[in-house]
Amino acid sequence: MMLGIRLPALRDRLMGYAFVAPALLLLLAVLAYPAGRSLRLSLSSGVRGSSGYSLVQYAELLRSDVFRQVLQNTALFVAASVALHLALGLALALTLNRPLFGRAAFRVLALLPWVVPDVVAGIVWKWILNPLYGLMNDLLFRAGLIAAPVEWLTAPGLVLPSVVLANVWRGFPFVMIILLAGLQSIPVELYEAAAIDGAGTVQRFRHVTLPGLRKVLIVALALDTIWEVRRFGLIQAMTAGGPGIMSEVLSTQVFKQYFQFFKFEYASAMAIAMTGLLLVVSLPYVRMIVRQE
Amino acid sequence: MESSLIYSRSRLVAAVVYAWLGIMGVFVLFPFLWMVLTSLKPEIEALRVPVTWLPETPTVEAYVVMWFRKHYATYFLNSTIVSLSTAAISTFVGALAAYGFSRFGLAAKGTMMGFVLTTQMLPGVLLVGPYFQILSRLGLYDTRTGLIIAFLTICLPFAIWMLKGFIDGIPAELDEAAIVDGAGRLTVFFRVVFPLIRPGMVATMLFAFLLAWGDLLWVQTLTSSEAMVTVTLAIARTVQEFFVKWPELMAGALMGGVPGVLFYLLLQRWLVQGLTAGAIKQ
Repeated sequence: MMLGIRLPALRDRLMGYAFVAPALLLLLAVLAYPAGRSLRLSLSSGVRGSSGYSLVQYAELLRSDVFRQVLQNTALFVAASVALHLALGLALALTLNRPLFGRAAFRVLALLPWVVPDVVAGIVWKWILNPLYGLMNDLLFRAGLIAAPVEWLTAPGLVLPSVVLANVWRGFPFVMIILLAGLQSIPVELYEAAAIDGAGTVQRFRHVTLPGLRKVLIVALALDTIWEVRRFGLIQAMTAGGPGIMSEVLSTQVFKQYFQFFKFEYASAMAIAMTGLLLVVSLPYVRMIVRQE
Repeated sequence: MESSLIYSRSRLVAAVVYAWLGIMGVFVLFPFLWMVLTSLKPEIEALRVPVTWLPETPTVEAYVVMWFRKHYATYFLNSTIVSLSTAAISTFVGALAAYGFSRFGLAAKGTMMGFVLTTQMLPGVLLVGPYFQILSRLGLYDTRTGLIIAFLTICLPFAIWMLKGFIDGIPAELDEAAIVDGAGRLTVFFRVVFPLIRPGMVATMLFAFLLAWGDLLWVQTLTSSEAMVTVTLAIARTVQEFFVKWPELMAGALMGGVPGVLFYLLLQRWLVQGLTAGAIKQ
């Protein structure tokens, strides 16, 4: 090692720690410390004066029908959003991965829903889906498909799909852009070689495109899942979890329990459960990155 | 004959492809158009059945009301200050850390990077409660400084990852050459690496800006006074009113999206590169 001669290795190593120290200390202070406090709070009984650890909050969580419903809503919301983001994103990325008129413009404009705040996405779809004055019912009515206004955001079976629709609009462009970049990084020679070997379109997709996309797919899926589990503004602006708890997800429910019902310990337990869920879900992603390093 | 068959078949494929892109284009852009059209209607017209598509008596009143009578300028200023500060701090601190992780064989590097990765996953609702208490005690509740600290939790982990992807792409031989010439690590970072990752820094700043600008959860919990309201909070409050004035709401929402969209249109090339830097190795 040439560096070893000129710079003492130990001093250089210390320099390395100095580079990462500000960020790590900052993260410890602004993230790890509050997260630890939440964990501590979730383990208290909520009885004044008692300072021991207790699993009372978690037991209440397991008994709660509301929590079960919210968990189910969250699972449906995340699964449907991520699946549709992926389906639309992949289909469009494959379409755009060839010379087309207006491709560059489409690519740039398609990301706009992802660029605006998710609150904006929530309210524009709330307005479009307004039963009386909304565009959606107007279109369906003109087309002769409905006779009476559809209550998109208040009917039990419709509210969650409606929220998902808004979230699909907001989120699929990101997956599309990431996958498109992934597609463009696959060497053309691989496709040429496959074609020479007599591979058809489907085979080339299976044996060249999918393996080439594996890494970006995992990254896009992981980031999207993490973001959708945490999604707050879109739902808060669109339905605030209502009617009742029909469109309530974990993040809106924790917020309510904490800041409206002031059940700090219970809300913290729910947030910890949510965090555990997120960590489990993102395990494949973490493993891939760690192996890569 | 065969060639004309192929020709007409490829024409059919092209027609299908463009029709599909057209449908998706409408799906993506129509909500924006609908916001513009609604924002230009008087309130009575927006609440009329059947729905009018083009405003019959177009007016910019909604914009005037939002901007001048509803303190939108203040909200805008708050959002701008907080988002820009967060973006600058997280990008700078993130770049230092990214350089450290990229170039040094640190002990416990795996643990430290795993820690950074984990912080990326913590949901905001896990942290807002304690933040409310901690910031109150520090006297930072309902201040922009408090919001900036809170936004670092969203932006800094991502910034480190994005920038590490960029720095990994720069050959370490450049550093070594400079060190052989007698430069210290700090000089190398600021004179050699810094200029080369400028596109990555721009992308990271843009991404952090968008994250901070778009947040609702934190501003809703860490502010209380009118002077601290941000754009997203203003929009969320308007939609929760009993009588929603839709043209004003649409005008506000559109204006709230403008800074992000402008920055994005200027810098989109680098953003895409930055978001995929970790996943696609050149």
